[in-house]
Amino acid sequence: MTLFGRRNVLLALVVIAAVTPFLVNDYYLFIANTILIYVLLSIGLNVLVGYTGQLAFANAAMFGIGAYTTGLLQVRLAWPFWLAFPSGAVIATAVGLAISLPALRLKGLYLAVSTLAFAQFTQWTFLNWEAVTYGAGGFKTPPISFAPLPFSKEIGLYYLSLLFVVVLFVLAQNAVRSRFGRAFVAVRDSEIAAQSLGVDLLRYKALAFGISGFYAGIAGGLYSALLNFVSPEGYDLFQMVLQKAMIVVGGLGSIVGSILGAGAIVVILEALRAVKGVQEIAFGAILVGFVLFMPGGIAGFLKAKLRGWEEPLHRTQGDTPPSSTLVTPAEKSEVRS
Amino acid sequence: MELFTYLLLSGLTTGSLYALIALGIVVVNKSTGMINFAHGELFMFSGFVAWMLHVQMGMGYLPSFAIAVAIGFALGAVTNLIAARPMRNADVVGLVLATIGLAFVFRGAARVIWGGKSDYLSFPPITSPDPVTIGGVMVIPQQIAVLAGAIVIMLVFAAFFRLTRAGKMMQATADNAKASRLVGIRIDRIYMLSFGTGAAIAAAAAVLMAPLTLLYPDMGFSFFIKGFAAAVLGGLTSLPGAVLGGFCIGIIEALAGGYISSSFMEVSAFIVIMFVLVLRPTGLLSFGKLRQV
Repeated sequence: MTLFGRRNVLLALVVIAAVTPFLVNDYYLFIANTILIYVLLSIGLNVLVGYTGQLAFANAAMFGIGAYTTGLLQVRLAWPFWLAFPSGAVIATAVGLAISLPALRLKGLYLAVSTLAFAQFTQWTFLNWEAVTYGAGGFKTPPISFAPLPFSKEIGLYYLSLLFVVVLFVLAQNAVRSRFGRAFVAVRDSEIAAQSLGVDLLRYKALAFGISGFYAGIAGGLYSALLNFVSPEGYDLFQMVLQKAMIVVGGLGSIVGSILGAGAIVVILEALRAVKGVQEIAFGAILVGFVLFMPGGIAGFLKAKLRGWEEPLHRTQGDTPPSSTLVTPAEKSEVRS
Repeated sequence: MELFTYLLLSGLTTGSLYALIALGIVVVNKSTGMINFAHGELFMFSGFVAWMLHVQMGMGYLPSFAIAVAIGFALGAVTNLIAARPMRNADVVGLVLATIGLAFVFRGAARVIWGGKSDYLSFPPITSPDPVTIGGVMVIPQQIAVLAGAIVIMLVFAAFFRLTRAGKMMQATADNAKASRLVGIRIDRIYMLSFGTGAAIAAAAAVLMAPLTLLYPDMGFSFFIKGFAAAVLGGLTSLPGAVLGGFCIGIIEALAGGYISSSFMEVSAFIVIMFVLVLRPTGLLSFGKLRQV
């Protein structure tokens, strides 16, 4: 039996995540919540980079746009969090879709550099459009409350993040195993071949950018509520490299890998928080090391070594009982023998 | 009018530095087809090395310049060895991420080694800091020194590329790597030479620039993106195009800073890069050439 298969491990992780607030202090709860937010970010980024092969560097900017929109709507227009938060996600999605237009003309290095320039432009806007964004100092957001529910702000926000992670994980997992996911992979592997098979490049690239923008926007709104503070530094180039490191360490083109990578990187980040220089050296070295020596990331390693970690791009044909939609061919053959 | 000539001169000065950085990017891209995303960090790191030699150890400006350029060359070769060579046949995602990872290692190393001193280091000027007036235009001698130095470096590089054996082999590899291998050029060595030469030009730019501004560990990326904007403007494989693009970016930046608002200085290069890439991805100097697929 595949006791340590992907599905069992994920269920165990969800159970652990669900009981965490009762077991740990506020600091560790904060770290756990940060991990959940980064899981959202890296799932979205992995759909764009790992599955669709679009080497974009605008994710930190869209994360920032989600956080800024959520925060500013609350502070400037006195909107409640429950209205500002979805608006932030919608605007980040819209920006993601807008970036996909130049992406249709550019690829590889050119896309990387133009999205880098876009990210720097966004950062510059956060810093210099002081009439709206409060400039370099940032601003405090009003504390949110879960009034009718018996939760403190920390625990409520943690469960809200967990809910989003579970729902958006299942959504992404299903999306990449549907015709959308196969179209993404086709675009990644060869645009010309994908086009000749009838894959509409514009539509699928825009969809991938939109998905990553949506995930980043949700993460941004949650992050602004978690910190109660929004400032430009949180959404800079280091943030971008952090997210890239997460998907590389977790495994490019693996939704489960995004979870593992985000968890691993946030833990290392916290351990090295004291010295910024050492943090940079460590992340740079991790990025180079994984790209050179373990290009499949942790997920690739698990896929090779453990049963039940395969991530096929399609559901198994024929019998799909509703309770076991995650059964993979390998598991089935084992049951038969 | 006085403001305009002043802005033009300072634009030319910073533009000459961008041109040198762009030249390094193009040298690497031309012969290897890769972009070294650690280029800006190599620039920054070499500047810090020169600062250490000149200010901390009291060496003369020219010897520190020479040693910093040599160390820049070595670091470029190391970048090739670690991040570029193993990635030559991999896809572009791996190459970009590997060089970005290396960039962060350099940046962190600079912060750990030299960052204790409030992060911003000043480099003493090599000429007198007082402005002089030439033909009614106020000129800071340091700017003229930088401009002249940059032009000398460009000429030296052009001579190296045209006249020396190594330069000719680099040109041959850029033209057709397979054919050059057939006539006995060791491609691996040429790739290393290209990365080294690119980084050495960046190092020279850093030491030239150091007396004009402050040195700080985060400077690499903003110079890289401006140098890259210049290189893209010139079409990424054209050496004269890179120089022209560098001067264009410098002047646009200075004029935007002087006439619109000083905060626009930082952002004008990003706007240029976005527009050029979307509207004219083959660069300024190419006409009717097909884009690579």
